[in-house]
Amino acid sequence: MIAVELHKLFRRPRTWTTIAVLNALPLLVAVLLQLTDLAPRPGEGPPFLSAVLTNGTLFPLAALAIVLPLFLPIAVAVVAGDSVAGEAQAGTLRYLLARPAGRTRLLVAKLVSVFAFVLVTVVVVAAVGYVVGTTLFEAQPIAGTSVSGSTLTPEELTGRTVLAIGYVTVSMLGVAAFALFFSTFTDSPLGATLGALAVLVTSSLLFTLDAASPIAPYLPTRYWLAFVDLFRDPILWRDVVRGLALQGVYVGVLLTAAWANFTTKDITS
Amino acid sequence: MVASGYGAARRWAVVAVLAGVLLALPSVVGALPASDADVPAPQLRADALASADVAFSGYAESAGGLTLPVGDRLSRLSDLVSDRTLMRVWDAGPDRRRVDVLAAGGETGYHADGAGGWVWEYEDARATRTAPSPLSLPTPPDLLPTSLGRRLLSEAADEELSRIGARRVAGRDALGLRLVPWAPAAAVERVDVWVDAASGLPLQVQVFGAADVPALDTRYLDLELGSPDPAVTSFVPPPGARVALDRERDLLEQADRRIARVPLPAELAGLPRRTIEGAPAAVGLYGRGVTLLAAVPVAGRLARDVAGTLRASPEAVDDGRGLRVAAGPLGLLVLDPPGEGAWLVAGTVTLDALAAAAAALPPPAEEG
Repeated sequence: MIAVELHKLFRRPRTWTTIAVLNALPLLVAVLLQLTDLAPRPGEGPPFLSAVLTNGTLFPLAALAIVLPLFLPIAVAVVAGDSVAGEAQAGTLRYLLARPAGRTRLLVAKLVSVFAFVLVTVVVVAAVGYVVGTTLFEAQPIAGTSVSGSTLTPEELTGRTVLAIGYVTVSMLGVAAFALFFSTFTDSPLGATLGALAVLVTSSLLFTLDAASPIAPYLPTRYWLAFVDLFRDPILWRDVVRGLALQGVYVGVLLTAAWANFTTKDITS
Repeated sequence: MVASGYGAARRWAVVAVLAGVLLALPSVVGALPASDADVPAPQLRADALASADVAFSGYAESAGGLTLPVGDRLSRLSDLVSDRTLMRVWDAGPDRRRVDVLAAGGETGYHADGAGGWVWEYEDARATRTAPSPLSLPTPPDLLPTSLGRRLLSEAADEELSRIGARRVAGRDALGLRLVPWAPAAAVERVDVWVDAASGLPLQVQVFGAADVPALDTRYLDLELGSPDPAVTSFVPPPGARVALDRERDLLEQADRRIARVPLPAELAGLPRRTIEGAPAAVGLYGRGVTLLAAVPVAGRLARDVAGTLRASPEAVDDGRGLRVAAGPLGLLVLDPPGEGAWLVAGTVTLDALAAAAAALPPPAEEG
């Protein structure tokens, strides 16, 4: 069933259209930087964007930072929100459940396909970012200066980039879990997507308020940018570990709730 | 097959229990009781002051609630006492220390060595070599609980100290020490310092003015004892960085030559005069401990500039005894009599004490 769901997801043109659109913004930024030679100062704008004019190999990180606050969560919410509610809206859910596999296995299959989408999307953004960065900008050997001012070897920089890709992927799993959870409650994919996005907008807004500081450590978007800490020297693991744990809690609770709801609700469409 | 009503209830009960356990976990961990120890206040102060050589690494947060009406001229200082500052620390003693001030997309690193230090600013890709300076504006490392706690306790009298129980700070048992300054001019109502029971390191410092909430609250969130790796504390400017030399000491020497000296009273607002080696002789420094006052002769043009900023504050008092503003326990006064010279007076004293100081100051000299 998992193979079927993966096959369905990656055969849909809209999946790849979503991924392509997601790559358009970093590409536009790269072209503008190349044409104008005007990079933001270090510490301003998306992380690492300041360094790409002199070292294009850092553009995968800048590309992830560009799409992370808004575009990536929207793409993930759209796909995850559609996973169950889309079948219900199309009237195919009851036929899927007519198979002897059962609801739990269907939910797990949907879950795995959404997680696969998140991973593929993040890797594609990073890969396209690398190609764009090394094509449009001066490509130094893969080495560089850490945020702390020390020099990173090629091995260190490559390892940390892989860790950053993994961290961003895990951060998006929380978004996917929210959308999948809402998707089991409604027959409207749009409703499920908007529900997940509403949670993220609320979280981002509350994070800026001092009055909300007691609950800030529990906001789903709180540690998203902690992947920058992977490029400090030594690596600052504190927020990275907290970010992973927080996403783990959201994913665990929401998927358990999605399972409890999906396996007990009446399916009419 | 849809689960029965009983099955549905059981499944939702699993969700509720899982969510409940995860939600309660931070509160349970946070509620772990602290173990108090029968250490008298003067001994605890001595332990804190003796901890300067204790090596450690940590992660600290400083939160200030002071809005300094100083405009853009001293925006870094203003941000320091009004914002939340996150810092990583590796401390192997005064001659080998690194403090990184963390921002979401950047970092400023302060590396101290025996002969001064380096300041690395990622935002500007700039490394600045600094020399030890007897007098300088506060920087984030000065707000670390260890630095601030020892500084505030260094001149406290035993009679000003008392014990206030214990609490958990950075996952460690911290013994409470309260400092209530006796000076009538003091604007600081009290300072609570929470000292690590095992090492004597100050783990949290809270400075209170008249309000119930601290004007400044700085604490370690993580702390680990042990000497940090020398490779972590050392610094070499990276390739491509702009390297600069800090001119603060030169400016101080220049100020010492340029500021005209006038005879200053031995006491201001009931606070005795004190001297700091290397500070410009024309600047009057008064008080001790947490009750300090500085009187600086400045050019009239600069004074009028500062006065313009102070007047914008709704708290400003201008009753002919000098333009005064209080920001929590910090007070600022501009005294600008007719002529070219003026006085800028600042300190952790009340507005009345500032007015009394202004009345006792001699006429300012013309700028040299």
